[in-house]
Amino acid sequence: MRRSFAAEWLKLRHSRIGIAIAVLPVISLLIGCVNYALNREVLVNGWYSLWTQVSLFYGEFFLPMLVAIVCAYACRLEHMNRNWNMVLTAPVPAGSVFWAKWAVSALLVLAAQALFMALYWAAGLLLKMPGPFPAETIGWYACLSICALQLSLSIRIRSFAVPVGFSLAAVLAGLGLYVAGKGVYFPHSLLTIGMHALNQEPLDPRSELLFWIMNPAYALLLAGWSVRGLKRRDVATA
Amino acid sequence: MRALKLEFYKIRRKKIVLMILLLLAAEMMWAFMSTSVSISRNPDHAVWASILFTTASLNGLFMPMMTAIIVSRLCDMEHKGSTWKLLGALDVSRGRLYAAKYGCAAVLLLLAVVLQAMLMTAFGFMQGFADKLPAEWLVRYIGGTLLVSLAAASVQQWISMTVRNQAFALCLGMLGSFVGLTGGLFPEAVRRWLIWAHYMDLSPVTIRYADHVATFVTQALPPDIAAFTAGTAAACFLFGGLHAARKEI
Repeated sequence: MRRSFAAEWLKLRHSRIGIAIAVLPVISLLIGCVNYALNREVLVNGWYSLWTQVSLFYGEFFLPMLVAIVCAYACRLEHMNRNWNMVLTAPVPAGSVFWAKWAVSALLVLAAQALFMALYWAAGLLLKMPGPFPAETIGWYACLSICALQLSLSIRIRSFAVPVGFSLAAVLAGLGLYVAGKGVYFPHSLLTIGMHALNQEPLDPRSELLFWIMNPAYALLLAGWSVRGLKRRDVATA
Repeated sequence: MRALKLEFYKIRRKKIVLMILLLLAAEMMWAFMSTSVSISRNPDHAVWASILFTTASLNGLFMPMMTAIIVSRLCDMEHKGSTWKLLGALDVSRGRLYAAKYGCAAVLLLLAVVLQAMLMTAFGFMQGFADKLPAEWLVRYIGGTLLVSLAAASVQQWISMTVRNQAFALCLGMLGSFVGLTGGLFPEAVRRWLIWAHYMDLSPVTIRYADHVATFVTQALPPDIAAFTAGTAAACFLFGGLHAARKEI
């Protein structure tokens, strides 16, 4: 597993994926802060008001797409030049290949989220927000199940763009389920809950428990599906 | 024309149309649900303008991403299959190959926008909208949406063709969607320079708020924005084509 992870990390060298990861949080935060500053007289809930402005579109629509792009990127090299054949004949289990990709994707998303939170914190200080920093807004944990879902799609689908398109459609499905009160049963609505993008109220204990259980459950389920596929399916190289 | 036909021949099993239908289904379901809720709250909104406005506002989110996906798929198949050298060795200029790919993307986008218009029409008849079907609005809607999408496609194709790594093209599409969705928050002077924010500007209908009441109003075609969008499409197509033609494979 460690060797697989090191190999995945090595593949990211000189990739400039960092630029792609950094652009979205920076632009989201800039637009959100400007909008907050222009409407400060009606946005009176301190840190949470700023959070609604910076995270609404980022957390609801674009973070899942960023996760999809990162996951597609993690599988990009394997889909080129028949590299899946090389990876699957290497002396490492298929499970290690999946989990190493998942861990690297999750770390890249964590980097994006850390940048976003650092910028949010800095913007809050600059705009002189009253009260303590709301730590519950750190929604990275909820990205883990989306990472597993997107990675499963990106491993199966050779195209870079198609899993990103699925992600956009899944965002809407997640939004629908969230509105219907079934948010804890779908990865993309779990992110809406985790990011507190639409509702800053704390979860009730049952939903909170489900939130913490469903994320790893989805990750394990999707990992199982993917690893089974890697073991049984023929690699499409054409 | 033969180059364009061959582009369609190459994508016959790529299921690009299926992807377009999936994204369209998601967008139009959202538009229909949102309009239905709006009508149930205010029966005055049972007019063609409501569905046209809602769909145009959602286009800002969906169309840039759909455009990025279509163009990326058309270009990525050549990158992945290492077929640029084969294409370059044909007795067809690279400019024509570039134009054929752009033409293929344009036809697929036209298909998506026409399908949108047909779905909106069906929804309007099902809801029994009080006013007459505004054919002129539909034509303007199709033209405006297609124009903005073509401008976005020309930028996307430039990136997708010249940068092998499609992560950057998709990131640009994602940023386009972000700008399209949040375009209404930008000041007029900034928004006019952002092509992705023009879906609403070129829509035949907009909404005005007065005393907490929303009213749909017809808006004239803004010639400066339409000219800027068309100019961006032409310039990016031209420079992108020149760049791709001169770049070493």
